[in-house]
Amino acid sequence: MKHWTEGFDDDDAGESLVRPYTITGGRTAPERDDLTLITLVATTSAALPGNGRDRRKMQPEHRAIVALCERPLAVAEVAAALNLPVSVTKILIGDLIESGQLRARPPLAFAQAGGTPELAILRAVRDGLRKL
Amino acid sequence: MGYANSDHGDAAPLAVKILIAGGFGVGKTTLVGAVSEVAPLRTEEYLTHAGVGVDDLDGVDGKSTTTVALDFGRITISRELVLYLFGTPGQERFWFMWNDLVNGAMGAVVLVDTRRLDVSFASIDFFESRGIPFVVGVNCFHGVRDRTQEEIRRALDLDPQVPLMLCDARDRAAGRDVLLALIDHLMAVRTSGTPHSAT
Repeated sequence: MKHWTEGFDDDDAGESLVRPYTITGGRTAPERDDLTLITLVATTSAALPGNGRDRRKMQPEHRAIVALCERPLAVAEVAAALNLPVSVTKILIGDLIESGQLRARPPLAFAQAGGTPELAILRAVRDGLRKL
Repeated sequence: MGYANSDHGDAAPLAVKILIAGGFGVGKTTLVGAVSEVAPLRTEEYLTHAGVGVDDLDGVDGKSTTTVALDFGRITISRELVLYLFGTPGQERFWFMWNDLVNGAMGAVVLVDTRRLDVSFASIDFFESRGIPFVVGVNCFHGVRDRTQEEIRRALDLDPQVPLMLCDARDRAAGRDVLLALIDHLMAVRTSGTPHSAT
């Protein structure tokens, strides 16, 4: 089955900007504004097959996200994997959080406050980088 | 610190990010690729239409909407911590429209090319004006070190506290060292309380 984004043509930019929003039912803004590029999302047990949810009734993009996020992924990673713009991906992820199939882990509070992360985190990053 | 004990049922690690900035062609994606554990991923965002209502399709269809792409990579620091590296779009004017890209960054690496220092001026201005700590990596991938670090500092009008180092963006160890220099700088900033005096 061809993915709907195949056949996207850069020469046709005007149309390609609108088409992704057909899979969001025309919504252009997420209902929740707490999702960031690096919010990590993971599938919950409620999304597992056999938990009363019929994945075949879901939109293919929603199904793909649920499958992808069996290991935690950042919103940006989901967008890249689906080849969808970040804002469209956020709307779809928002749907799945709403229905309890995804759980989101927001980045640390310093992220919103514009401060510097605490030393413990800096040390952990430093130690991890040194092992590269 | 919250991320160390993730045994409260929340299995997802914490994510942090660093921005890799600089003008067009200075090697941002090269650096991301050199240190990332996965091949750089690309994602896109539509800018300017955020908040446009469902009925306002003119705004989505119109020429005022821009698609901006960025490349990013991932370094798994530990089971609890993941570092994302975002190569910023070359045209800095887009960053102002893309709060999600800049918000929450621990800091930034500004790459410069000594042959075209001017293409990275806007990046430096951007982080200075926002008080986001950064270090400067002088990408010597072309093998030419025709200017001293002091000359480059002066040309960039760099605050003395901002670390500057030579690097090769293609080299994993060199890329890692630039990131480590940023972490050291962030630790110093945290201790001293000010990112840099330039405001």
